[in-house]
Amino acid sequence: MQIFLRRVRSFLDALYLGSGMIAAVFLIAILFLIVLQMLARWTGEIFSGAPEYAGYSMAAASFFAFAHALNKGAHIRVGLLLNAVPKKVLPIVEGWCFAIGTALAWYFVYYAGKATYWSWKFNDISQGQDASPLWIPQMSMVLGSIVFAIALTDHLLHVVFAGSHRIEADVVEQGHGE
Amino acid sequence: MEEFQLIAIFLFVLFLLLGTGVWVGLALLGVAFVGMELFTTRPVGDTMITTIWSASSSWTLTALPLFIWMGEILYRTRLSQDMFKGLSPWLAPLPGGLVHTNIVGCTIFAAVSGSSAATLTTVGKMSIPELRKRNYPEKMVIGTLTGAATLGLMIPPSLTLIVYGVTVNESISELFIAGILPGLILASMFMAYVAIYSFVSSNYNPDSEAKQTFFEKLANSRFLIPIILLITVVIGSMYAGLATATEAAAIGVIGSLLLAASQKLLTWKTFYESLMGAVRTSAMIALILAGAAFLSLSMGFTGLPRALAETIAELELSRFELLMALLLFYVVIGCFLDGISSVVLTMAVVEPMIRTAGIDIIWFGIFIVVVVEMAQITPPIGFNLFVMQGITNHGMGYIARAAIPMFLIMVLMVFVLIFVPEIATYLPENMSKLNN
Repeated sequence: MQIFLRRVRSFLDALYLGSGMIAAVFLIAILFLIVLQMLARWTGEIFSGAPEYAGYSMAAASFFAFAHALNKGAHIRVGLLLNAVPKKVLPIVEGWCFAIGTALAWYFVYYAGKATYWSWKFNDISQGQDASPLWIPQMSMVLGSIVFAIALTDHLLHVVFAGSHRIEADVVEQGHGE
Repeated sequence: MEEFQLIAIFLFVLFLLLGTGVWVGLALLGVAFVGMELFTTRPVGDTMITTIWSASSSWTLTALPLFIWMGEILYRTRLSQDMFKGLSPWLAPLPGGLVHTNIVGCTIFAAVSGSSAATLTTVGKMSIPELRKRNYPEKMVIGTLTGAATLGLMIPPSLTLIVYGVTVNESISELFIAGILPGLILASMFMAYVAIYSFVSSNYNPDSEAKQTFFEKLANSRFLIPIILLITVVIGSMYAGLATATEAAAIGVIGSLLLAASQKLLTWKTFYESLMGAVRTSAMIALILAGAAFLSLSMGFTGLPRALAETIAELELSRFELLMALLLFYVVIGCFLDGISSVVLTMAVVEPMIRTAGIDIIWFGIFIVVVVEMAQITPPIGFNLFVMQGITNHGMGYIARAAIPMFLIMVLMVFVLIFVPEIATYLPENMSKLNN
């Protein structure tokens, strides 16, 4: 049992980090797409669909990174209550936050999956210049939010059974967006 | 009255989720869900996905991760050392001496980074130990740095302005250009304060600097040339209409990578760390924006924004009175929420109000940024205070008190902005525009 749990643990941690790295690849893709589009414009060529592809990469770079950002404590939250409650009550508040988060994330996964399924079924085509089948870019939303939902569930279970989550709390990391 | 009760439930859920510490993006999603269930019969889940997908896959948003990445790369270069060495010979003769390196350093780093926390760490890393060595009053060193770092939000690129621009659907380059003059004016006001303080105060007796000839000064500041060049290209290309904000960001990333490479600091490790740092911060903001996109749709169905805009219109407030009310509103919100969250959370309600009152939406972006900056340096959740605490081990209270003069200068800045709106509107009106 112990060995099994340890395997699950290392698999999940690799999943979150791997998902974050996929997001990083998409961020590099954004850079390439925009540079190519700029070069195309300056040389009088047309790179049609570049804005759409950059947009899809943006979505992928965000969704795939949600779980990794959560683990590193990058997602902003209001810490007033969390800092004020006594140590004994803290797991209850944390449990509440993770429960809400987990519920919302799985709800999102369900509808994202549904929407993407219908895009595939009806072969929905993008309205933009790229004319790509929408289910392909939308897969990033489904897969990324599944990893995010798993991560939230993971932390929730940890709070319930071990009394604490596994987020590397760092206010400074949260402050990076400000 | 039933309508009223529904709105009360809606607001209660909003405060409950945010207040108990649910991550802001998810909290907004949850509130939006409740709002949709209460006020419409639409299929909530499907509408949610449509709204969030189009908000998350938008081309304008791509400026965000790129500018964050640029800052993350430069943060890992020798910039802070170079900046102190390059700026100090020029600033030492000014009244107030080297404390000015805090302010000018922040202004320069703010022009390559969109975040005030990053600005603070980069400049502080070098200037705090150097200024302490020279016996500058500690309170002044801490206070000016905490205050001036907020320029990171105002001087382009600015993450808060990107988020604002995406939320109200206005040109990000115009917002960026609008921030330049107010940012420089605010920086000069900080510098004037330092100069005056150094004359008035009796405990302002730092060690004097060794005199340098003009050519020595020039030689010491040669390291600043690449960074100044980078700033000129990034901001200039937007102003001249050669590049959109996103394209300028891409140029900035490439320039920063070249700069890091020229200092032989571009290793796989720094590349990887800067990239992952950028991915995390951008994901954090993307989650908030996703939640906010759905919330503003849901908010529309509650009728709250329109009702509020009408009420405000009936009150026939003057422009000044309306802005004062909003100033107060945002200062209070700033005590609980960070800048980006408070902008996205309120714009669905405030935007119609502003547009009805005939207030320039670009100008209002700058106004809101100054107000949000003020919240950065006031307890209980000013991020600059947290960051400063991490660097210096001073208590929050001490840092906040040291920053009070800077806070007052920002209040003054708000009034300057209200009475001379041209400082924010002149440049964007005169720039060449690429799109729209």
